[in-house]
Amino acid sequence: MADPAQSRLPFAVVALALLGLVGAQATLWLSHFYAPTQITEGSLWVVTPDRGAPINLYESYRIFFVHLPAAYATAICCGLALVGGVLWLLSRKPAWEALVVSAAEVGLFTGAIVLATGTLWGDYAWGSGRLGSGWNWEPRLTTMLILWLAFAALLVVRRAMDSAAQRSALTAVYGVLIGPLYPLVSWAVKLFGQFSHPADLSGMMSAPEVRTVRNVAQLGVLAALLALVALRFAWNRLAQRVEQERST
Amino acid sequence: MSAPANQPAFLPAFAALLRRELVVEWRTRALVSGMGLFALLCVVVTGLGVRGLPTNETFHRFVLAVLWVCSLFAAIVGMNRAAQADQRRGLFAGLLLLPHDPALLFAVRLCTTLALLLLTQALMAIAAIPMLKLALLDQPLMLAVVPMADIGILAPGVLLSSATGRLRGGEALLTIARLPVAVPVFLGATGATDALQGGQGLAAAQPHLLLLGVCDAMFLALGVLLFGKLSEA
Repeated sequence: MADPAQSRLPFAVVALALLGLVGAQATLWLSHFYAPTQITEGSLWVVTPDRGAPINLYESYRIFFVHLPAAYATAICCGLALVGGVLWLLSRKPAWEALVVSAAEVGLFTGAIVLATGTLWGDYAWGSGRLGSGWNWEPRLTTMLILWLAFAALLVVRRAMDSAAQRSALTAVYGVLIGPLYPLVSWAVKLFGQFSHPADLSGMMSAPEVRTVRNVAQLGVLAALLALVALRFAWNRLAQRVEQERST
Repeated sequence: MSAPANQPAFLPAFAALLRRELVVEWRTRALVSGMGLFALLCVVVTGLGVRGLPTNETFHRFVLAVLWVCSLFAAIVGMNRAAQADQRRGLFAGLLLLPHDPALLFAVRLCTTLALLLLTQALMAIAAIPMLKLALLDQPLMLAVVPMADIGILAPGVLLSSATGRLRGGEALLTIARLPVAVPVFLGATGATDALQGGQGLAAAQPHLLLLGVCDAMFLALGVLLFGKLSEA
């Protein structure tokens, strides 16, 4: 068997990582120098929680170029955890366990970005244009926090398991349990009242320049996400092989 | 895998195991005393915390949500103690040797803890009605909401406790693992309670009841399918 420590990253992973980096730089540049401050009159207004007069978002909407793709990336991680869990339960192949763990690790990262940007923007927009009103218990952001905690719980609990077989089984089962949490995040606005989160951010970002930047951002984040999952997957597979070598 | 020819039927085996669990509990009263005492303490502590506040709508909504939090943690106390008692005595390994699908054990454990949690909640309601000035008996639909929420709260916990019960510090791990998963059920339970107790009627409670129904169906199915895989690992 080839020494896992000597194995190299596939070209595709390196290419995806580079694409992610380029996408991030392009998004930063485009969102500041290409996307306009004032879109079509009224297209980026938001209703405040007390249903008071709408405020204009001015520059603050640019945070959506990070927030929205990161939210999609977290959804993909949730799906990967579910798929990995189901496939491990069907086949018991260690690679699927590694996929669940990698998805949870990357989901923890992208989820943190969603929470940070969402809190910051919500604080400004729902605090009627002021910062410092704090966490506002907006349903979608709160359910995203729950999903983030579930990712963290998976990583904490599996670390406490002594037996590799138990750890694999618990990881797969928990991956399956996490999967259905993302629909709750999507459904939260309908279920708990719109409060002030826009039901569909993409509708608000339909101006041509904004749409272009959003597409570039999504492409970049998707590439970065795939590269990160692949990197963590390679790392977790390596850890599995080392553990296997030690136990034999 | 085909079932052994001499395998006893599911229902008699389920009834025998359920009876065994309830008899053990009746003799020791270990779970119900722990869960009940915890719930009563929660009511008293909540009452102390909200003393002097005007008993308006906000007060009632807050107190009802707190009672659901108490139920959530009472369920954790019960599941932890049940899982650890069986693991300590080696009973769980013995039960897994039964010529039945391990889903039988999941069903028995779920029904036992459900019965005990309902009993605990009845005690909690008896204490909360006079102490917290709640009109809990006005809405008969709550009799459906409570067991629906309890099943959703307990099912993932029973599933995960089969793995965490064997670990040192398993209680804390079970709490960490199941709380995020049980939150949708908690949201459904508090939402439905809020709508019904607030007098908004069934129409307002319907989305929350739907959420509870979906969570129950999903967690029951996952429990039945996965309990064996997690226990035998």
